[in-house]
Amino acid sequence: MSQWMGNRTLEVVTLGLDGEVFAIDAILVHEILEMVPITRVPGARSFVGSLLNVRGKVVPLADPRVRLGMECRPPTIDSRILVIEVELEGEPTIVGLLADKVFEVTEVAAAALEETPRLGMRWPPHLIRCVGKRGDDFIIVLEIGRLFDNADLFGAPETAAPQLLSA
Amino acid sequence: MTIDPADTFRQEAQDLFEQLEQALLDMEDRPDDLELVGTAFRALHTLKGSGAMFGFDALAAFAHHLEAAFDQVRHGVLAASPDLVALALAAKDHLRGLLDGSASADDPAACALLDRLQDVVAPTRHRSPPQAPKADGLGDDGPGGAAKEGGEAAIWRLKVRLPADALATGTNPLLLLDELRDLGPCTVIAHTEAVPVLDAFDPSTLYLWWEVVLTTTRPRGDIEDVFIFVRDDMNLSIEPVAAASDKRLGEILVERGAVTQAGVEDALARRPRIGKLLVDGGAVPPAQVEAALAEQAHARAPAPAGQRRPTGQESIRVSADRLDALMDRVGELVISQARLKQLVAGHEDIPLKAVTEEIERLIAELRDTTMGIRMVPIASLFSRFRRLVHDLSKDLGKEVELTTSGEDTELDKTVIERLNDPLVHMVRNAIDHGLEAPDVRLAAGKPRQGKVHLSASHSGAQVLISIQDDGRGLDAERIRARAVEHGLIAADSSVPDAELFQMIFAPGFSTAHEVTSVSGRGVGMDVVKRTIESLRGTVEVDSVAGHQTVVTLKLPLTLAIIDGLLVRVGDGRYVLPLSAVEECVELTSEADARSRGRNFLNIRGDLVPFLRLREFFASPLPAAPFQKVVIVSDGDLRVGLVVDEVIGDHQTVIKSLSRLHADVESFSGATILGDGGVALILDVSHLIEIGQVRDEIRKVS
Amino acid sequence: MSKTIMTVDDSASMRQMVRLTLAGAGYEVVEAEHGQDALNKVGAAVPSMVVTDLNMPVMDGLTLIRNLRALNSFKGVPIVFLTTESDEDKKRAAKEAGATGWLTKPFKQEQLLAVVKKVLG
Repeated sequence: MSQWMGNRTLEVVTLGLDGEVFAIDAILVHEILEMVPITRVPGARSFVGSLLNVRGKVVPLADPRVRLGMECRPPTIDSRILVIEVELEGEPTIVGLLADKVFEVTEVAAAALEETPRLGMRWPPHLIRCVGKRGDDFIIVLEIGRLFDNADLFGAPETAAPQLLSA
Repeated sequence: MTIDPADTFRQEAQDLFEQLEQALLDMEDRPDDLELVGTAFRALHTLKGSGAMFGFDALAAFAHHLEAAFDQVRHGVLAASPDLVALALAAKDHLRGLLDGSASADDPAACALLDRLQDVVAPTRHRSPPQAPKADGLGDDGPGGAAKEGGEAAIWRLKVRLPADALATGTNPLLLLDELRDLGPCTVIAHTEAVPVLDAFDPSTLYLWWEVVLTTTRPRGDIEDVFIFVRDDMNLSIEPVAAASDKRLGEILVERGAVTQAGVEDALARRPRIGKLLVDGGAVPPAQVEAALAEQAHARAPAPAGQRRPTGQESIRVSADRLDALMDRVGELVISQARLKQLVAGHEDIPLKAVTEEIERLIAELRDTTMGIRMVPIASLFSRFRRLVHDLSKDLGKEVELTTSGEDTELDKTVIERLNDPLVHMVRNAIDHGLEAPDVRLAAGKPRQGKVHLSASHSGAQVLISIQDDGRGLDAERIRARAVEHGLIAADSSVPDAELFQMIFAPGFSTAHEVTSVSGRGVGMDVVKRTIESLRGTVEVDSVAGHQTVVTLKLPLTLAIIDGLLVRVGDGRYVLPLSAVEECVELTSEADARSRGRNFLNIRGDLVPFLRLREFFASPLPAAPFQKVVIVSDGDLRVGLVVDEVIGDHQTVIKSLSRLHADVESFSGATILGDGGVALILDVSHLIEIGQVRDEIRKVS
Repeated sequence: MSKTIMTVDDSASMRQMVRLTLAGAGYEVVEAEHGQDALNKVGAAVPSMVVTDLNMPVMDGLTLIRNLRALNSFKGVPIVFLTTESDEDKKRAAKEAGATGWLTKPFKQEQLLAVVKKVLG
């Protein structure tokens, strides 16, 4: 996973998900919004179960907690939407990413996964880009591309699939 | 048995002679009985009228003279003297002779009778003989006939003011305007100034009047004839307009008497927009300027084909990017306008509301104009296939004739561009897999040369494009085998051919015997289907084994903006394409209760399956007390969609859904509402499919 | 659904002529022998158009037109009269009574159809 080694640092946005601190590559983030009215998409997978209007564009809203197997609580006053650009099947696409909290834009230094057996064990490894080190804390930097990998998504078992209600 | 009206007339005439004779005989005793005179008159009147209709001209002509005499008796000008009665009786016998052919009009006796009759009849009123009459103005060709074509085209300015009771007395002004249009290209301006407020509005009173600028090769009389029935009661002016096509607005206004030359010059001195200046200055009502502008536009309009001047100003080239940018701006404008409308909805400010409505109308027009600019005839696409077909037929050793129709059909340029690949694929398929080799065709009793026909046509708000070949057709058994192999159907299931055919659109499905250099390169019908669906279209295939295969694409006219119906279901708002909406009905509580577990509604005797969108979308909120059913249709199929509320019309700027929602089939896109929220656009054909499937389930269970 | 046209004439041959012409063009035709008969028959269903003679026994065409126009359901229904006269007075009277147009007898089938098209579309 970790392609940058040694002393190089990475600029990230740190965010809170279900009480844990994660980070994503800051270069992906276009803007950060407070919670706005969102539109549920009936029948969509719960990871991307809604839409929102970002400056006149209709943008899907993704909830990373679903992919990370976390409990999905309703939004609070601290909830934020990170508007990011990801590549879907080769096309750059704007999506919203839901976070319980956004802390700061910061620089983290690389750390080896081996140093963090506890973190490395808890999350699906292919969703982790690397582990960043900040002071004594370790922060998981998410592999956003894999988070939205459609093949991955469609392969995943889905409980919220649309069902025809019996007549 | 065919009845000849002439026979009926002969019989009728016999009865009339009886009546006439009886009346005349009674008249000898009672010469003052007007009833008798009336009977005699009517009998002669019918003999004249019907006789002329059925070819008894001599009888009609003779009856006319006698009728004229009795008309005078009726009006007290002439007395029913014994002389007259005797004369009439003799005349009646002559008429009878004319009917059965035993007498002729130039019998000396008949001439004598006529002379005597002429002596009796007072010469006060002269009646024209009945030989000549015809329905006034309605020539043998009738209106719109091909008569008198070929003169010089002239431009006429008409002011058409019909009487206020014209509607009540059965005159349809629209038909009159249509008749004018039959004469040549027309620009019609309706004057609505006299329309009263709603409270004072009487639907049977005509408040409008029209100005028409007409270019026609017909003489002025033909224009007048359009108004033949109302000519006497109406105010009609017909003036020639000089054909100079570049007249200034001011000149037109002066000529039309709407303003004086001095007024124009005064306004001109102030430049630049004469129409606006004149209106602002109160010199001329806005409707007058509008009418003059329309006339100017009409005169400037390109002359009909053949007379078109070769000027370089008729079209300009614009880069597609700029058109796209324009469409985007219009889309944003529509969304902003929706927001404005919503803001204003809460206000009582009448002028503000009026301006908002005006802006809404203007934006709708701007939208239509912009979309019109983007429309491109499909000929540009079809023409690419000549070469393709030529090359393919060489490569494959097949003889192919490509024919096309409906090349003028227009489609949004984006749609045209994206149609290229699917059409290439389907044409290749038709030639490679559909058409047989020449010897095979000959053996099958077909001409050596195979046919591929590309056609396009409009169907409502959709365009149909079909690719038809007269080849071997689809092999239902082969498809069935492949479908079983792919696990699409059970081995023992009995699936109708029509449904089997649709399976060629399933991913990875191919029935080609062998992979040729042309087809079978991984681009299957599933890709075609996906492309068409991404254009909000549908694709269907039909085939007759051994004879033909037809693939039909149904596409929306444009991708950008549609008229939608906004509805609420639970906590979500959704848009239905208005073109698919047939009607909205209330879901009465009885119907609701009755339908539990049955899921179909009785709409005027038709059973229509319905979907409760609240349940289908697993909406968390309780149902509204008065739910509505929106009936939507796609072709012959209908389904009712139960919604909580019908919010109203919505100009819908379509935003496509991202690939993350590619698996959600119920929606074809999304749109942004006036309050900034997002509404999903329902995919009507998909919902209808589901409704029908559930209906099937219902029927089976 | 085809439109219904009522022909009012005391002459059976004339009614037949009108019927044959209009039925051939796809219209339903209802016949009445005179004004009173017509009034009785329009009670059942309002036709899309009326073609009436003027000179008829029992109730003449003028009276029929006045009576029909007095009915609310006949507002806007075209009424065309047949006349053998080229008499302007008669035409004016019928127009004042509320007639939509006229057709002068004798007429050809095409002329009747042209008038129907003109007022009925």
